[in-house]
Amino acid sequence: MVAMTEAIESAPAGTTEFTVVGNSPAHHDFQDKVQGTLRYGADWKLPGMLYGKVVRSLQPCARITAIDTSAARELPGVVAVLTASDVPFNKVVDNASGGLGELTVAQPVLAEDRVRYTGEPVALIAATEPEIAAAAVDLVDVSYADLPGIFDPEEALEPEAPLVHEAGNVLVNWRIGRGDAAAAMAAADVVITGEYRSQHVEHAYLEPESGVGWSDNGVLTLRVSTQVIEHASQIARILDVSENKVRIIASYMGGGFGGKEDMTVEPYLALLAWHTQRPVRMVWDRQESILASTKRHPFVMRYRTGAKADGTLLAQEIDIIGDAGAYPCLSARVLFAGAALAAGPYRVPNITTRSRAVFTNNVPASAFRGFGAMQVVFGYESQMDKLAERLGLTPTEIRDRNQVSKGDTIPTGESLHTAVELTATRDLALARLGPRSTATGPGCRVGRGFASGMQPYGRTIWFRDHASVWLTLQTDGSLLIRSGVTDLGAGQAASLCQIASEVLGAPLEEISVYIGDTALNPPAGGTFATRQLYMSGNAVLSGARELRDSLAAVAAEELGVPPDTLVWRDGMVRTADSSGQNRGIRLAELAQMCQRRGVSTSNLHTWRARGGEFDPEAGQGDSFPDYTYGTHAAEVEVDTETGVVRVLKYAASHDVGQQINPVRVQGQIQGGVMQGLGYALMEDHALIDGQPVSTLFANYLIPTTMDMPDIEVDVVESGEGCGPLNARGIGEPPVGPCAAAIASAIKDAIGVRPNRLPITPERVLELIDEQAAGRVAKDGDHE
Amino acid sequence: MTGAFEYQLADSWEEAVELHRIWGEDGKILAGGQSLVPMLNLRLVQPAGLIDINPIGAVEPRVADDRLVLSALTRHQDLLRSPLVREHCPILAEGAAQIGNVRVRARGTVGGSMCHADPSGEIPCMVLALDGQLIAHSPRGQRVIDAERFLRSYLTTDLAEDELLTEIRLPIRKHGQGWAFLETVRRYSDFATVEVAATATLSSDAHTVTALRVVVGGVADRPLILSDELLSAAVGGTGRDDELRAVGAAAAATVSPESDVHASADYRRRLTEVLTYRALGKAIERGRAESKGAGV
Ligand SMILES: Cc1cc2nc3c(=O)[nH]c(=O)nc-3n(C[C@H](O)[C@H](O)[C@H](O)COP(=O)(O)OP(=O)(O)OC[C@H]3O[C@@H](n4cnc5c(N)ncnc54)[C@H](O)[C@@H]3O)c2cc1C
Repeated sequence: MVAMTEAIESAPAGTTEFTVVGNSPAHHDFQDKVQGTLRYGADWKLPGMLYGKVVRSLQPCARITAIDTSAARELPGVVAVLTASDVPFNKVVDNASGGLGELTVAQPVLAEDRVRYTGEPVALIAATEPEIAAAAVDLVDVSYADLPGIFDPEEALEPEAPLVHEAGNVLVNWRIGRGDAAAAMAAADVVITGEYRSQHVEHAYLEPESGVGWSDNGVLTLRVSTQVIEHASQIARILDVSENKVRIIASYMGGGFGGKEDMTVEPYLALLAWHTQRPVRMVWDRQESILASTKRHPFVMRYRTGAKADGTLLAQEIDIIGDAGAYPCLSARVLFAGAALAAGPYRVPNITTRSRAVFTNNVPASAFRGFGAMQVVFGYESQMDKLAERLGLTPTEIRDRNQVSKGDTIPTGESLHTAVELTATRDLALARLGPRSTATGPGCRVGRGFASGMQPYGRTIWFRDHASVWLTLQTDGSLLIRSGVTDLGAGQAASLCQIASEVLGAPLEEISVYIGDTALNPPAGGTFATRQLYMSGNAVLSGARELRDSLAAVAAEELGVPPDTLVWRDGMVRTADSSGQNRGIRLAELAQMCQRRGVSTSNLHTWRARGGEFDPEAGQGDSFPDYTYGTHAAEVEVDTETGVVRVLKYAASHDVGQQINPVRVQGQIQGGVMQGLGYALMEDHALIDGQPVSTLFANYLIPTTMDMPDIEVDVVESGEGCGPLNARGIGEPPVGPCAAAIASAIKDAIGVRPNRLPITPERVLELIDEQAAGRVAKDGDHE
Repeated sequence: MTGAFEYQLADSWEEAVELHRIWGEDGKILAGGQSLVPMLNLRLVQPAGLIDINPIGAVEPRVADDRLVLSALTRHQDLLRSPLVREHCPILAEGAAQIGNVRVRARGTVGGSMCHADPSGEIPCMVLALDGQLIAHSPRGQRVIDAERFLRSYLTTDLAEDELLTEIRLPIRKHGQGWAFLETVRRYSDFATVEVAATATLSSDAHTVTALRVVVGGVADRPLILSDELLSAAVGGTGRDDELRAVGAAAAATVSPESDVHASADYRRRLTEVLTYRALGKAIERGRAESKGAGV
């Protein structure tokens, strides 16, 4: 049979120009969200559905002496009241470090004999109406006997401190070491010390934790807002059923930021749906979400930085304490990232870093955009600024003398194998600030600062990460992508379509992507650690190339040209002769040809990241696959009488290797800066003896757009990332440098360096007072 | 179902008064809803009946007997738009611009703000600074209440259970009188951490400060009028920096605010000092410009 051929406009052969990648098409997710047709976790309603609620501890640290559920059970409309004894296997064990040395501590699904933080789940309700479920919560009578709690991670390290868990209060103690820091420090011309503190931060996603669960044919299905469908295995363990009996479907999320990386509603929905054998829905309201969800770790960071008189870094001694809260969650990994990145993008031949996750009776802390590597930016960038000032260098000069480049060795002993375009990002960000603004009133001062950062993308290497995808070219030429990725709202699914379209030439409108279902999609690993473009993007790229290779053999034969000269574009494969007359076959036709010849048009492909080992004893080894670098610059005005800080200008620049979708890259940077400025200036999930005091947006302050300056974004494309088509991840990186850039600008304005977040007006005034009282050293450090 | 209520519309103040009487303590007036609806949402109040007075509509601000008369249903944004308000009580436009955000200003009413009596609200602070009067109606008739008496405490007014606020009357600005409304917020659209409303009257030669009135909000259970004694350092003076700073310091020393998640008591005291000092400076400067501008 003769292939249908068409004369088409010729394109130069062998061009590296992309036709789909690098553009910003309005994909299916944009359209559904704008039209309001996307079905989020809370939007599913099932016939006969019950409403689930969690009964939570009101005490941060107490023994449970009795739980009386009788009144709740008697309330008409209540269908189930479950407590710890109803949970088949009441233990969740996170081995977040992958077995490299943290304590093994189990977290109960429902508290048994004691509670360890305010908000800890104690019982579950299912009722026919949400109001009835809420009323039943109040009828569950839990009797507590107070136990001494511990709320400060530094106090928790003291020998007499009450133990949060019998195994001890130190969940993990990482060490990273290279060279001889003590000797180098002793030989240094200058030593700069600094102590920096950060706060508990709430993810504050638009969409709170939500979903439905049901069981049919002996399989429990949860359709929930989650970053990680792989929790299905954990749910199976809790229900004491085999893993094939649990299916998790992830709905498109209205944000996650790491807060939906641990389980949220899943175990409670599972227990209630399994127990009642009826569909159950659970939606946390904002107050419950802020009260009970995990938080970003507050860090206490102590730095000693030694340098030569010319500014060359000789040594770093760094100590990090992270408040893990009451249970392990992902703290072990977060504190590892803090340790690995503690010195930032600077060469330091001698270093010892200790990084500990410490239990307290505060709300558990876990994953949050930046994942330990963002807290330390405030530490290392403040140190660099202070060192510059001590030596009479500019902040730019000190960085030029120490910044890492490709090929340099970092504290873990690895060498950097991709481009480091920090200087380019810095030049762009600083240029964007333009002429300096003048102060708007007496008592007001303008200041400027910048900060650079490096953020890993991809999981720690010793996890031997992999992601699978299944691509099928259908007989009408349309393409199916099936992947277990979950979509946070950043376009994880849509980016896969762009990559597949680029390789196979299928138009975007003819590609459907099915995601986030443990039953129907090959596993892709969760969406966290800025890993999905890197992992699933690479899986799609290599899987699509493989598929194209098998299709190409057929097409090449039909067209009588070598397979590697074919051009795949606009739903066709065609020859690329430069004569101006070329021929092509529609993908539909090609798929049918393949079918007739018994050539598969489907490809299930797994992509594996580089593997390696980390030696926790030596504090050396493989850590992360690669990093995304960037610089932010800020101009602020400080009212020195009220302490109010206004951000006048803000510029952010990151090297993303290669943009897959520029609008989405912009979106990540704009959003990251907004979240980072909230972190720098406002946000504080304050706890008083374990009790949260801000569980509404009326008192947990996230910035509004009106608080924001225009954020100027410059994207650098070095072409050297480890992601598909040399892209780098951009999900987490933009949140990193904000607090340090703002702190540096405030220092420039008022002469004193903030060392504690958030930098509230009140704290700014305290700094100014300290300065007035002569308690500030020349380089702006506190004495 | 918790939180269920009956919803009724009132077309006139008479009807509103009557419906309010019938519902008694189980009824709630719904004006702009910008405070009441969030409270309903959080089930902080659970009225059986909601009486929506919006159909009554607001009469345009007008001037009668040297007073600016505002209907209780005047929206915050109307204060920004009305030329009459800008001419006769310009402080209202300056303060109202700082209420919440554009959505809140479009719906929220001056009467609702007075009745809600938030100690950080701009409207109560300004009405007190202008020494306004509140007109209340009940089945028993009409009552005129001074602002100072009206604002009793945190979310508490002098209104009796059967009384509705229908009107606010404010003395119009005198010749040579300046004004200023200043506040700071932790985040755009939030309630003020501390706010200060000030008016200053200057002598006809624009030289001497003859009278001052300053009200501070956000530092007590209701907005506080600074006493004559506190203002004495600046009254009779020429508005010199040290005079104004002395008043600021004295004000800070008298208030005893509470600490909360947004600000400590100490910080609120600092703001009282700075904002009082600055508001006085701005009010005097404007008063001076006004008297000079009038060609005295
Ligand atoms: C996001 C947000 C930000 C805000 N920021 C500010 C701010 O910065 N400053 C500020 O001052 N306010 C702020 N508000 C509140 C806003 O100003 C409200 O408009 C105001 O407090 C109440 O006015 P309302 O017309 O909305 O009254 P409603 O909410 O309808 O009623 C408030 C109370 O007054 C009673 N009431 C109303 N009218 C009458 C009447 N005529 N007679 C008797 N009782 C009556 C009601 O029964 C109710 O108890 C904010 C609100 C929101 C939602």
